[in-house]
Amino acid sequence: MICALCRTELFEVDSFLQFFGLVKTEGKELCYSCQSGFEIIGSDCCPDCGRQQVNRQKCYDCQRWQYQQKPSLHHRALYKYNDAMRSFMQQYKFTGDYMLRKIFNRQLIQLVHNTNMDLVVPIPVSQYTMRTRGFNQVTGMLEGIQLTNALQVISVKKRQQSNLNRNDRMKRKQLFDIQDSTLIIGKSILLVDDVYTTGSTLHCAAELLISCGAVSVKSVSLAR
Amino acid sequence: MNDDYFYGRQIVQPKTESTKRNVNEAFIGTMCQRCGQNDIEKLPKKHFYCKACIMLGRVSSLDNLVSLPEPNQFSGQTELTWQGQLTTQQKQVSDTLLKVLSQRRTHLVWAVTGAGKTEMLFPVIYKALNQKLRVAIISPRIDVIVELAPRIQAAFEKTDIVVLHGNQVEQYRYTQLVLATTHQMLRFYRAFDLLIVDEIDSFPFAGDKMLAYAVNKAKKVNSALIYLTATPTTTLRKQLGKTLTASYLPLRFHQHLLPELKVKLVNNWRKRLPRKVEQQIKELIQLKRQFLIFLPRVADLKPLYQKLNKIFPEIKSDYVYAADPQRQAKVQKMRDGEIQYLMTTTILERGVTFPGIDVLILGADDKVFSENALVQIAGRVGRSVTRPYGLVLAYVQHINLKVLAAQKQIMTMNRRGRAVKYKSKPDSMVIESEKL
Repeated sequence: MICALCRTELFEVDSFLQFFGLVKTEGKELCYSCQSGFEIIGSDCCPDCGRQQVNRQKCYDCQRWQYQQKPSLHHRALYKYNDAMRSFMQQYKFTGDYMLRKIFNRQLIQLVHNTNMDLVVPIPVSQYTMRTRGFNQVTGMLEGIQLTNALQVISVKKRQQSNLNRNDRMKRKQLFDIQDSTLIIGKSILLVDDVYTTGSTLHCAAELLISCGAVSVKSVSLAR
Repeated sequence: MNDDYFYGRQIVQPKTESTKRNVNEAFIGTMCQRCGQNDIEKLPKKHFYCKACIMLGRVSSLDNLVSLPEPNQFSGQTELTWQGQLTTQQKQVSDTLLKVLSQRRTHLVWAVTGAGKTEMLFPVIYKALNQKLRVAIISPRIDVIVELAPRIQAAFEKTDIVVLHGNQVEQYRYTQLVLATTHQMLRFYRAFDLLIVDEIDSFPFAGDKMLAYAVNKAKKVNSALIYLTATPTTTLRKQLGKTLTASYLPLRFHQHLLPELKVKLVNNWRKRLPRKVEQQIKELIQLKRQFLIFLPRVADLKPLYQKLNKIFPEIKSDYVYAADPQRQAKVQKMRDGEIQYLMTTTILERGVTFPGIDVLILGADDKVFSENALVQIAGRVGRSVTRPYGLVLAYVQHINLKVLAAQKQIMTMNRRGRAVKYKSKPDSMVIESEKL
């Protein structure tokens, strides 16, 4: 086995029970030092956006969302968006190493299953990104479950999202468009994104889905 | 981007971007045209990308490779600002290299550690620069390139040099002389008239098809290729006299022989620091000598560092490993004499010079120390004229064939060196057809 991130050999020894097939061997993707870079978000997090904190009260940003009368997304994220996660995203999204989609695949699917919603809708990427990057990073990570591509990107601007700050993001109008509204009427929907930064993307998509007839919208992401 | 950015290069551009320059398909079949490997990973919609060379940015079937032919747009005005003198043996090798350049051949320089390989290169580089040829000096190791860069710059003060490796941010610019790691050659296409590969036998170049392909592609069809090494691999040795000519230099520049490897048996040094080692370190500290301690694994560094710090609290020391963010700074501290000893893994086995040091190798029987690695480590010792000798101690739990082979290799080198030194046989041997 080779660590998917640093490409060093994993010195893994099967335990006695694993050797005889009595306990299932977990296919490890990462070596110990790479794995330890990622910080798992525990149960002490903001109930609305999943941000890690010391208590379970609404965080400042979510209070602002509430003030703008946006519905809560009950967002949950697996990991903190720290340096390790940032360099993972750099390698996966911007370098385009599609292989890395497998690393968090199982955990993300687990998280999606736990929420128990009717439809799973990934946040789409623009046409331009699809032509240069060649894949949607969210669908890649969710490989293996049924997805509904209900949304598509309208914007034709070439500016990349990650270069915008919070103020810029708040000012933007609707980014998405519904492909087929018959799919979502009367359904509860789970939105999936790779990183939740300010929440504007997810709120934007949620608003659109609800206005087109979705019953409820929740969201999950890999990092927060 | 200017045209000169593309001279002799292969740059990845998305197909959506239009360009007037030469455009090549990134893949023929499933073979990546940048690295020559058939190691692809699927993308959605029947696209794919190359896994083998992704550390230099992705090449996918959504991209083109853009390049312009190398025009050799140089003034040819240069000056050799190096003031030193070559020994007679070095001079002979250096003259052979001039011939290699004019004949556009491939040649191996097999010179013992500390023979002054870099200095022997100056005349041939100077000649090439004068003839408006484009020159690259490359090595598989970053440390070698980092150490080489200031020396080359000092020798050619008036020449603009670009240094390219993965750990730095210097922007590429079009220069006549390029210093780079072998991986960077993937970005070049038929660019160099003279290509010098230092430490050809070291990891990751030895046995890597991708890097061999990269080097072959980076040089022009009609060009000279010079390999440098102290410890050629068996595959290289087999080519000697058949497809490859070589110059052999068995004596160091200061005319002294190589320090020999001494083997000492100890018990499990990971568990408890052996008495012999402690005594030896104590002695070296009392003599105020600088020394390196080589360890097999990164995980061994910190425990030993802490143990030794407890025993010798007043002595300054440090440890360094490949992924260390302060790697270069620590090596510099050792060079400046700020610390008395440095613990390291095999990363410092070659290409670095600390004048007048001694070396201890703990766990020399571990599999990470190959025969050639041990010879290279021994070659760190006695590199200055003022102290051309020193201690090389290998502490092992079990003597194995590898350690013995390393000892034997050094002895063979010394026998040949002695022949050159005392009997004044042909100073350096040029191997044309004779097989060693």
